[in-house]
Amino acid sequence: MINIEIDGKHIETENGSTVIEAAHKAGIAIPHFCYHKKLSIAANCRMCLVQVEKAPKPLPACATPVTEGMKVFTHSDQAVKAQKGVMEFLLINHPLDCPICDQGGECMLQDISVGYGAGHSRYQEEKRMVLSKDIGPLVSAEEMSRCINCTRCVRFGQEIGGKMELGQAFRTEHAEIVSFLSSTVDSELSGNMIDLCPVGALTSKPFRYKARSWELSRRRSISAHDSLGSNLAVHTKNNQVLRVLPIENEAINECWLSDKDRFAYEGLNTSDRLTKPMIKQDGKWQEVEWQVALEYAANGLRHIANGAGAEQVGGLATGGSTLEEMYLLQKLMRGMGSDNVDFRLRQSDFSADGKQQGTPWLGLSVADISRADRLLIVGSFLRKDHPVLAARIRQAVKKGLNVSLIHSADDDQLMHIAHKTIVAPDALVNTLSQVAQAVDAKQSDGIAGSLLSGERVAVLLGNFAQQHPQASQLQTLAQQIAVSTKGKFGFIGDAANSVGGYIAQATPGAKGMNAASMMASPRKAYVLLNVEAELDCANPQQAMAALQSADTVIVLSAYKNKALDYADVLLPIAPFTETSGTFISTEGRVQSFKGVVKPLGEARPAWKVLRVLGNLLKLDGFDFDTSESVRDEALEGVDVSAKLSNAITGVEVKAEVSAAGMQRVSDVPIYATDAVVRRSVPLQATADAAIPKVWMHSEELNNIGVKSGMNVKVNQGSGSVKLACCADDKLPKGVVRIAAGHPATSALGAMFGTITVERA
Amino acid sequence: MNKLIKFFKSFLLLELLKGMSVTGKYFFARHITVEYPEEKTPQSFRFRGQHAQRRYPNGEERCIGCKLCEAVCPAMAIKIEVAERADGSRRTTQYDIDLTKCIFCGFCEESCPVDAIVETRVFEYHGEKRGDLYFTKEMLLAVGDKHEEQIAKDRAADAKYR
Repeated sequence: MINIEIDGKHIETENGSTVIEAAHKAGIAIPHFCYHKKLSIAANCRMCLVQVEKAPKPLPACATPVTEGMKVFTHSDQAVKAQKGVMEFLLINHPLDCPICDQGGECMLQDISVGYGAGHSRYQEEKRMVLSKDIGPLVSAEEMSRCINCTRCVRFGQEIGGKMELGQAFRTEHAEIVSFLSSTVDSELSGNMIDLCPVGALTSKPFRYKARSWELSRRRSISAHDSLGSNLAVHTKNNQVLRVLPIENEAINECWLSDKDRFAYEGLNTSDRLTKPMIKQDGKWQEVEWQVALEYAANGLRHIANGAGAEQVGGLATGGSTLEEMYLLQKLMRGMGSDNVDFRLRQSDFSADGKQQGTPWLGLSVADISRADRLLIVGSFLRKDHPVLAARIRQAVKKGLNVSLIHSADDDQLMHIAHKTIVAPDALVNTLSQVAQAVDAKQSDGIAGSLLSGERVAVLLGNFAQQHPQASQLQTLAQQIAVSTKGKFGFIGDAANSVGGYIAQATPGAKGMNAASMMASPRKAYVLLNVEAELDCANPQQAMAALQSADTVIVLSAYKNKALDYADVLLPIAPFTETSGTFISTEGRVQSFKGVVKPLGEARPAWKVLRVLGNLLKLDGFDFDTSESVRDEALEGVDVSAKLSNAITGVEVKAEVSAAGMQRVSDVPIYATDAVVRRSVPLQATADAAIPKVWMHSEELNNIGVKSGMNVKVNQGSGSVKLACCADDKLPKGVVRIAAGHPATSALGAMFGTITVERA
Repeated sequence: MNKLIKFFKSFLLLELLKGMSVTGKYFFARHITVEYPEEKTPQSFRFRGQHAQRRYPNGEERCIGCKLCEAVCPAMAIKIEVAERADGSRRTTQYDIDLTKCIFCGFCEESCPVDAIVETRVFEYHGEKRGDLYFTKEMLLAVGDKHEEQIAKDRAADAKYR
């Protein structure tokens, strides 16, 4: 520790910290633009000049390390004169367009110029002009004249995003921020550049001219789009969500937010929002009152349960539903006598059910990932599935974390991967069991060697591993490796409430049917919560066939979707911004949130709808007044962490003989994961949301006689689609990569399994 | 005795003459009563009357929708909605002033960075039914167009004090 003095205040600070860090810790404000605590130090704005005793000239506080006995003056005449001088230079070329600037009211330059700017400009010459740029549908670089060249966005791309997509070209007065060869900024974290930009040069494109910052109400919420549970500040005006910003939480999302969380709100109030209950009579949809629709739904369920038997009723929810919703859904099902309820719609292997000792979770806290020194990731499109978590791992890699990857596709994770093994999906179990054996044999090279040399080891199973047909075997092997390396292992949950679903008991009991078997042997009645079956299920063909053959399908949805084809009742429910609820993040963190705006039209929170359905069916225990009381009952007053366990016993690991033919590898594209994201127009305009292609090894393309870019016909099960193909030589041979969860591929079958590709 | 003095004062019409002398004095004094509406008092160039939206000489509306007037208005009489116009500029789609709420403090005028919202010298306006004094953007622009000459003159006169 080092003792320094700032403005006469005695401060004890760590050796190696800078003056600005010490000052911020002591609550002393030093004006700055280019300095950001999460980014490297550039010291190019010079705004943080301070006077240091015995230094002949003012020094930049952000780049001056503390030394013992240092005396710093942030508001002495010399310091203030230097700061005012810098401010005058910064304002020379800054346009006076604050009244039309979206940053106006929350602008660092505006705020600091109030304190350090002169009332009048001495500059009479023409200001410099920087041409506007188009860097994609999310970030607006329309007004680059406003840029003060702090290079925060550049450093963000290099350091946090992992890829330098913006850079500073030219020198002195001609310096400007440009993207390379006028390409777009495609990072899945690009929205953070908007927050980082201290001026209005980079602003949010969807938010452009929508509101001034002082008009907005800021309300806390929790991200519903991935399992990290990022803390959100939802900004609303006139009962509408106008933008979403991160709330800093060092243990979860730090100060970042993925573009998915940031721009998904644009999908909330689309024209296909369901605002009135609807029932289908004589093949025609008609809008009805809530009472009519609810009684119709209750009668339909009662009819099936009393006639064909309660086991003919199935309840399905997506993992993005709240704890309360899933708890009431399973309570409704079990109240009627059916044990068929599930939320793991994209999972295909359920053999772990009953063999698991608790609720599968991350296995360690998110913050612990930063402290791990060895990490094995199995089956994960990490960067697209969990953008903010990937950014955290990327930072850890820089500090010495050694990452290994076993997967079926080799996407660039924009971080150093020490060892990687890319194999076809059916070889995944075999590969992992070889690693497990090598770990047991104390092998010193490869993945095993890497894991054995670490002290804090973690093995994480991604979405792909969870959706894999041998997921339970992968889990067993991961457990084996974790035990041998004295590490942790767990799942990076695929949805906002993938832990909460288990806690809410929205999984079938011993007699019940899981998501896959409910589709494989169709039920007579279904209750769907938030589900868009053709996009959310592991096997859309099977799911659609099951739903179309069912007598009664009750859909609780925020949108009029494909359900119009197969449903009998559509009940409008509120998305996460309009209802209170709870998400349990993948690390087991219970985070409750309140609705930030009123439900649109006649939509109602799903927990209320399910409660009334329970009442109408005369089931016991449906007298809830608040979502909090539902939550308290669901959590049973027990700490969630006591229920978390990834331990699994009794699964036999056997390498399956691969079937002949090509195997499908499918990812769920980043902007196709849930109903809200799928409707967000700006997100759908990004490069990540392009129509899926058929990716194959170039030799495989040659085998069927097509060239990259040509259309191919893909057949799986009873369906086929025509899509453009593309060569990816990093894919293993015998593999066809086609995205799932996208309307263009929903005619195909299961996410895994054999598939044929032919010339179109 | 007092009665006697009173009698002579009345008898000689002294009280009447005293009264008439006051009347006579004011008959020849300078008139200060203004015979409104035939006559009007002089107005300052800072007079704060009815609001108007101004245009530039080329016909382009001045307002850029920065919403500073909306934020500063103590009576919350202003309502603004903004959108990007086809040419990419920031423009209001709605600019309403409820003159029944307005307290004519002039803050809107003072906060405006482009001198778009101004208070004119017009104070003779009325409404006959509820809602007549709710001025929309079109109405405000019309007022501005009508009085632009005077408005410009007043801004010029005030310019050296700003």
